[in-house]
Amino acid sequence: MAKTHPRNTYRVDETLEEPFNLRHLLRAGSYIKKYGKKMILALTLSIFGAMAALCAPKITKEALDVVIPAKDKAGLNRLLLLLILAYGVSILFFTIRQHIMERTSQDIVYDIRKDLFAHLQKLPFQYYGDRPHGKILIRVVNYVNSVCDMLSNGLINAILEIINLIFIVIFMFTTDVKLSLVVITGVPVLAVFLFWIKAHQRKAWRLVSNKNSNLNAYLQENIVGAKITQIFAREEENAAIFEDLSNDCRKTWMGAVRYTNSVWPGIDSISVFVRGAILVVGLLLFVEGQETLGAIVAISSYASRFWQPIMNLGNIFNNFINNMAYLERIFETIDEPVEIKDKEGATDIGRIKGEVEFQHVSFSYEEGKEVLHDVSFKVTPGQSIALVGPTGAGKSTIVSLISRFYNLDSGKILIDGQDISEVTLRSLRSQMGIMLQDSFIFSGTVEDNIRYGKLDATSEEIQKASVTVCADAFISKMQKGYQTEVKEPDPALLVLDEATSSIDVQTERALQKGLDAMLKGRTSFIIAHRLSTIKNCDQIMYIDHGGITEAGTHEELMAKKGQYYHLYMSQL
Amino acid sequence: MQKKKFPRTKLQWIWDNIAGLRIVFILAIIGTLLYNLLQLTVPFFSQMIVDRFLTGDNAAVHFQEHKGEFYTLIVAMIGFTLLRAIIVYLDCMAYEHVSQRALFRIRNYLFEKIECQDMHFYNEYRTGDLMTRLTGDLDAIRHNIAWVIRMIIECFALFTVVSIYFFSMNVKMALCIVAMAPVIFLIVFTFRKKVAPMHALLREKHAQMNTAAQENISGNRVVKAFSREDYEIEKFDQSNHDYAETNKKTRLVWVKFFPFVETCANLLPVILLWVGGTLLMKDEMTMGEYVAFSGLMWAIANPMRLLGNILNEFQRFSAAADKVMEIYYSEPSIVDAPDALDHPDRFKGKVEFRHVSFQYEDSDLPVLEDISFTAAPGETIAIMGETGCGKTSLIQLIPRFYEPTRGQVLVDDMDVSKLKLQQLRTSIGMATQDVLLYSDTIDGNIAYGDLNISKENVLKVSRYAAADEFISKMPDGYNTIVGERGVGLSGGQKQRISLARALAIRPSILILDDTTSAVDMETEKQIQKSLSELDFPCTKIIIAQRISTTKTADHILILQHGKITEQGTHEELIQKGGYYADLVALQTGKEEMVHG
Repeated sequence: MAKTHPRNTYRVDETLEEPFNLRHLLRAGSYIKKYGKKMILALTLSIFGAMAALCAPKITKEALDVVIPAKDKAGLNRLLLLLILAYGVSILFFTIRQHIMERTSQDIVYDIRKDLFAHLQKLPFQYYGDRPHGKILIRVVNYVNSVCDMLSNGLINAILEIINLIFIVIFMFTTDVKLSLVVITGVPVLAVFLFWIKAHQRKAWRLVSNKNSNLNAYLQENIVGAKITQIFAREEENAAIFEDLSNDCRKTWMGAVRYTNSVWPGIDSISVFVRGAILVVGLLLFVEGQETLGAIVAISSYASRFWQPIMNLGNIFNNFINNMAYLERIFETIDEPVEIKDKEGATDIGRIKGEVEFQHVSFSYEEGKEVLHDVSFKVTPGQSIALVGPTGAGKSTIVSLISRFYNLDSGKILIDGQDISEVTLRSLRSQMGIMLQDSFIFSGTVEDNIRYGKLDATSEEIQKASVTVCADAFISKMQKGYQTEVKEPDPALLVLDEATSSIDVQTERALQKGLDAMLKGRTSFIIAHRLSTIKNCDQIMYIDHGGITEAGTHEELMAKKGQYYHLYMSQL
Repeated sequence: MQKKKFPRTKLQWIWDNIAGLRIVFILAIIGTLLYNLLQLTVPFFSQMIVDRFLTGDNAAVHFQEHKGEFYTLIVAMIGFTLLRAIIVYLDCMAYEHVSQRALFRIRNYLFEKIECQDMHFYNEYRTGDLMTRLTGDLDAIRHNIAWVIRMIIECFALFTVVSIYFFSMNVKMALCIVAMAPVIFLIVFTFRKKVAPMHALLREKHAQMNTAAQENISGNRVVKAFSREDYEIEKFDQSNHDYAETNKKTRLVWVKFFPFVETCANLLPVILLWVGGTLLMKDEMTMGEYVAFSGLMWAIANPMRLLGNILNEFQRFSAAADKVMEIYYSEPSIVDAPDALDHPDRFKGKVEFRHVSFQYEDSDLPVLEDISFTAAPGETIAIMGETGCGKTSLIQLIPRFYEPTRGQVLVDDMDVSKLKLQQLRTSIGMATQDVLLYSDTIDGNIAYGDLNISKENVLKVSRYAAADEFISKMPDGYNTIVGERGVGLSGGQKQRISLARALAIRPSILILDDTTSAVDMETEKQIQKSLSELDFPCTKIIIAQRISTTKTADHILILQHGKITEQGTHEELIQKGGYYADLVALQTGKEEMVHG
């Protein structure tokens, strides 16, 4: 349970586990691979489409050089038809390509988002506790959207431009090697320029993503906590904090676009020097009789065609660099290790009878701070166990360990004699009925939610009611889901963690009847402060200082005149 | 989807929000015109070099004789290109500057706006939806200022300048080319009509997906407790799928138009060859003119090709702006009255309800009916009643989160609706049922309402709330960072921090809404004791379930179905033998005696 990082807040930029590298690139590749055939088809169509379009200048040249000077009307019409055909084919191919790619790019985004979300569901409480939720949210929604174009059209266009570039280089060199070399001299300069830019650009965009993430975190907390803001009349202070965060976003953005916007003008400037150099060098060589004018004309036209794809690649490069900052965050989340998962060869636990045993269980949330130390106890099927003791003593921890929400430091927990770390999580958790104290925390104003709902005492309705009571806006939306759940086998093990403390006593009493019916024959763990709730339990455990200090029935513990006795007496 | 009427159109609204930056923006627009002109003139120099020194009749001789001219042209070519590069860079930066400033301004304004909204607003808008408005939607607006507007100007500039040039050269040829414009306008018009609703829908799907993800992340503990991961994955998959499919459909609208636009763009060289060729044969056009037409045709064709992208982005902006402006122009109904009383001094803390009835706007049933009671300064009032009887609604009327449908709520004999919200609320300390802590240090959470609170006072209020002991035991003490919603703390610990936070502002009126429900009995006793010994005058209104909490209150109100059915002191109510007496019996474990 070692914690590697301190909890993150909106004030602090997140650290990056692993900067973008080849592995990420391959990872991105695996998402593209699924649509490999479609991408290749789109690419092929683009190549043929481009080739068809390339025929157009040839046709025009033929018309201007031969047909028009000869005033051959029929010839002109023939060439016009050819021209229309060439464009027609190119339009057709590009339209099909667009059809394929618009779908594919959305499919890729869908896949990434799906994996990301599914992985988030596997991550433990701790992951959600360690960072503001707004920072997780921005990855699932905004970041994934951002990388959409880069992974689909960006990739295809990059390949096209590279193919284009290769052809131009070949043509250029077969025309004239010497002048081609002059054209190529621009490339190292460009490489140095891009290399310099890249280093800054990467850093700058990473900063942008961090600042946006911070803003998102603050925003989410404040929308959720709007009422708290108003109670404390903190509007102005919060607005000032938000303005600072917002300003950070603005400044880092301006810092980043400084580099991004200089890529195009930079390449443009380098290219004009190259074109100038060709003309100067060409003509000087011509004077010496080493070059023909035709070659100079050809190369200078190749030179501008050589730089066009490079400019386009520059734009794609820009896009790629910006999105790397997002992609590395997405993969960081997908790669977040799942600590609590099914062991290799984990088996189904089968129908739980309800025997629960702790064997020398020790546990800590943070390294070096043991919450439970060497806890051992055994519960026979059907017993109801009450856990009492001061807040923060570890009662909730004990019950969350039974559901294996955390892994133990040492010791074992057995249910029906089976080590819970050896069985599948699904088979274990689906048989547990849990009402956490935290479900009340986000239940919003419980009263608001159930003010229209009257709680009744019949056991069937109680089950529903306990759901209602736990229900916040969130669960109520899961309502339908819950009803399907009810059809599944009843929970074999029940955990009520402060489930009733915000309900008034009358309602609790009404609930109690239903609960009693529900508890019958099932092993149950109940955490409550109201002693009327726990008095009738089969066993009461007093938890303090990371262990069980007293255990027994109400009568036994009262007779003992220990901690429980004091607790009970203090309530009267 | 209903179209809301806003006081300003979208573009006017943007113009409003770039006040102070308008000169920069206009300069940026001029910059766009300028670099597009350069775009047209730079090739002119290289063309001249080629014509004079490479392909001309006596090019070789020309070079030997006019070396000076050659180098001047080279320098001009390089110089103008560099100039263009610099202008492009500065121009882009100017747009970024304006758009970022506008974004900054709108975003802050929206945040302030959202913060001051009343509870109706929060019942109406979900968190994920509001977040979409402040992130994705605002980005569409930023993009509109930074890119869409620039592109529109670029396209118009190129088209206009080149058209004029074409007309000056050859009217017939130019007419044939410009004849394409109405077709393009028709396409633009139909496309816009088709794609606009798609963008509105897409934006909705985006907000839905954001909401689904946001609620899942916030509710991760519930998801795990109910072992509902598979269900959640399936549910989110629906949103994800919807969004992807809508996105496809939206983008495919353009793909439908693409062949037509591309045909128009490609028709240009065909027309040129056809009409131009014929004109050449008739000697109505020179070869030089033909080459000029051909060389500048891109300036007509490129804007056509960019059309789809520009229009899509513009529609995205339009859909987003609707959503943002809805919040921008929304007004909370609970605001300072125009004749609000100024009360800068500390309130004495008298709270009075006079025949107060209350009903939520969206419901038919009254929540509170004819509630009257008075709490004198320094008194403790306990409110009890069944879950859902209206207790929380009642206390929410004091800081004026809602307004009573009938009757008056008074603080220090002044109607709360006549007080300044800021002054009223800063004198009320409130700890609610649902404890919401921020991902911040414990110290920062306690000092939430009073940033200037001294270290000793933080310690003092923590002691009042019986929280000092467990806080100081934590690894970083008061500097321990708690997760969002106080993750890492037990329910009782969170409640105690929330209580300390409410006490930290030394309120005249302290409202506790079942704040100690998860605290153990002994600690609660301690809290009760310290609440009676606060070192500042304070009226306490406490909602509680436990008799131990209410026993010492000056006055106990029993609320049933929105009405006060019993009131009095502990002793009085026990003697009366009603609901409260039952409750006492029940809680002290004498259930059998009463109901046996």
